[in-house]
Amino acid sequence: MRLGIPAKTHAFTLTEMMIAAAIASVILAITLTSSIALQKSFSQVDNYFATHMQQIRIVDYLARDVKRGLSVTSSADKQTVVVKIPRYIIQAGDADATAANIGTPRNPTRLYVAGSGDPNVNYGTTTSTVEYKVSGSSILRTEDGIVTTIASSTDNLIPETIDIELANTEYTTTAITFKPISVADRSGTIVYSTAYLRNRRRPTL
Amino acid sequence: MQTKRNTKQTGNVLICVLGAILIVSLIGANVLRNSTTRLNASSNHVRAWKEALSAAETGGDIAFAEIRKQFSTISSVKSSQWVGWTKSGTTYASQETTLGSSNLKARTVVETCYFDGSGVFHLGLNPDPNANSWYRIRSKGTAPLPNLKRTGMDDALTQDGRKHFAPVGSTEMKDITARGNGDSLLRKIDFQSDHFIATYGPNGDGVGKAQVAASYAPSISRRIEQIVTPVTPFFDAAIKTSGSFYGLGSAGQLDSYDSRKGPYVFCANDPSNPRYPDSRHGSLQIGSATATVKGMLYGDVATNGGTIVGSSQITGTIDNNVPFTMEDYQMPSTSTWAYQAPGVLPSQLPNAVTGTQTLVPLQPGTADAPQYYIISSLSGKLTVNPVVTGADTYVAIRVNGGDITGGITVNGRVHLKVYFDYNINTKNSDLANQSPTATNPIAGNLQFYGISPPRDASGNPVRTQSINLNSGTPGTLAATFYAPSADVHENGNPDFIGTMVCKTFYANGNITWHYDRALNDEGALLDFRVASYVEDTR
Repeated sequence: MRLGIPAKTHAFTLTEMMIAAAIASVILAITLTSSIALQKSFSQVDNYFATHMQQIRIVDYLARDVKRGLSVTSSADKQTVVVKIPRYIIQAGDADATAANIGTPRNPTRLYVAGSGDPNVNYGTTTSTVEYKVSGSSILRTEDGIVTTIASSTDNLIPETIDIELANTEYTTTAITFKPISVADRSGTIVYSTAYLRNRRRPTL
Repeated sequence: MQTKRNTKQTGNVLICVLGAILIVSLIGANVLRNSTTRLNASSNHVRAWKEALSAAETGGDIAFAEIRKQFSTISSVKSSQWVGWTKSGTTYASQETTLGSSNLKARTVVETCYFDGSGVFHLGLNPDPNANSWYRIRSKGTAPLPNLKRTGMDDALTQDGRKHFAPVGSTEMKDITARGNGDSLLRKIDFQSDHFIATYGPNGDGVGKAQVAASYAPSISRRIEQIVTPVTPFFDAAIKTSGSFYGLGSAGQLDSYDSRKGPYVFCANDPSNPRYPDSRHGSLQIGSATATVKGMLYGDVATNGGTIVGSSQITGTIDNNVPFTMEDYQMPSTSTWAYQAPGVLPSQLPNAVTGTQTLVPLQPGTADAPQYYIISSLSGKLTVNPVVTGADTYVAIRVNGGDITGGITVNGRVHLKVYFDYNINTKNSDLANQSPTATNPIAGNLQFYGISPPRDASGNPVRTQSINLNSGTPGTLAATFYAPSADVHENGNPDFIGTMVCKTFYANGNITWHYDRALNDEGALLDFRVASYVEDTR
């Protein structure tokens, strides 16, 4: 005689269910934990990358202004950099501005340097002032009084200006760090940059 | 008994596994999507932005090399200047050059220009026949942006009321600072059209604005402007010496003027005089610490470690920390000069000028192609007259076999350059510059160049070189001397108009010395130098 097991009576035992539930819970917990960890990790990496991009942006801004600059000075606390750049574009309010020439490139002028006898080439009688400044967790760039936040959550801009007068040149070395959201240590986030003035170094105008 | 396997129990596991895979996949996809954006911004935008500047500077370097060809001593190089460039008047435009593994592009426009006596910029050749021209180089470099067309990070392309590119002439156009944050405001991307030409015109002056397809779509372009100055012997200094300096006499005087604005007048103590700004450039540049400065000096003094003490005798600045060196001077290329063989005709010179000799060249020549003579020595009296009265006549004479002990007189509108291999030992009064007139001579019309003696295997000059100018009446000497290897002794107290560049300088007379600021642009072309660099960041 063959005994059949009615399908309706198929079931797990309580022990089986508990074991299965336990295993499933563990798997689910692992999955959830991994997901959360992955999300957190991604968020941190994303934040790190985004902040790193801001570091690069700061460096690029600074390098661009220093290259075309006439002089660079940094504050004693190394939190502020001031770059004097040629006033290449005629701006409203300039002494030589007219309705027709605002927004156009200015022709250069020549001026001989006292003592050295070499000519300086200037654009206008004044220069534009660009200031980079650490403000809280942001880096502000101010050109002729107009402020732009070029980076946030990136701090500790550490510019150093080395003035080599004898070589008739000047360059800035800059180090920028930030504090990642994952760790408190900023030491591994430093980005160094060196930019040389292409123009003849001259006293701050 | 056979039991049937309940396959429904495997369904839960499959769903769980698929669910887990889905979650992880979604996270992974999100990571990849964001990473791609970051990677695009970092590896493409940053790289392209930097390479665009490299391309622009490469275009500038190509133009600079082209400019420097004009004083090359190799005739084939000199004649190849501007070959392949499009010339329009005194403006030269390069072809678009593709370079580098990233297919960068560079295009450059070179404009000939000059500055007048007031330092004002003008396009075109320098109208002063003795002067050299400057150049303005404008170069554009473009780097393609591969992969998808994406803006940068943290961009401000939002409805914030600001414009991405401020229109020309607008008050908000102060660089890019007025227009928000973000990478694309620093690294401006041309997705379809060249935003610069569309907004500001090809020259940035608002003229010729047009919708022009970008060189690559998308791409980043950067534009730079460089001003190139000719390097000439005389740079706003009355006397320049790489070695020791002694002079002038205690009652001497050193000031300046600009012959382009009229004959010399003393106005160094008269600020109301319109020519006063040109009067206080009688400067000294001394490349050693051994410097004894006497007399009234209306100008600046620079030494290399000297101890010049400021006093009422020196009106300008004193800088005792200005080192410099001077290279040996070599005979320039004469490939374009019109050489005249020795002979007895009025338009020729003998092998050596020992007696009274008058030279009237056959052709007027030009500053770049003067009538060229070679003689071994000059102990007689040489007079050089213009081709016809009132005509500018350019003459170059090389004295390569012995000293210059005789006299030279230049008349009319003669522009004479004398190149000497040995020494000069003559009287001030025997060097008579009467060009253009005897009463108002221009120093630049009588120029002396001391060719540096060759050096031996140890690098030492095989002989010394000297310039001895002795007293004599009348004592007006209008001339320039560029002899970086020569020891100069200036005796007596002449009225000297011009400049002296030498190795050492000694003068004990009460000389009245006037530097002519027109010399700043004059003299033999030694080289070119980039004097200014600016980027158009719009």
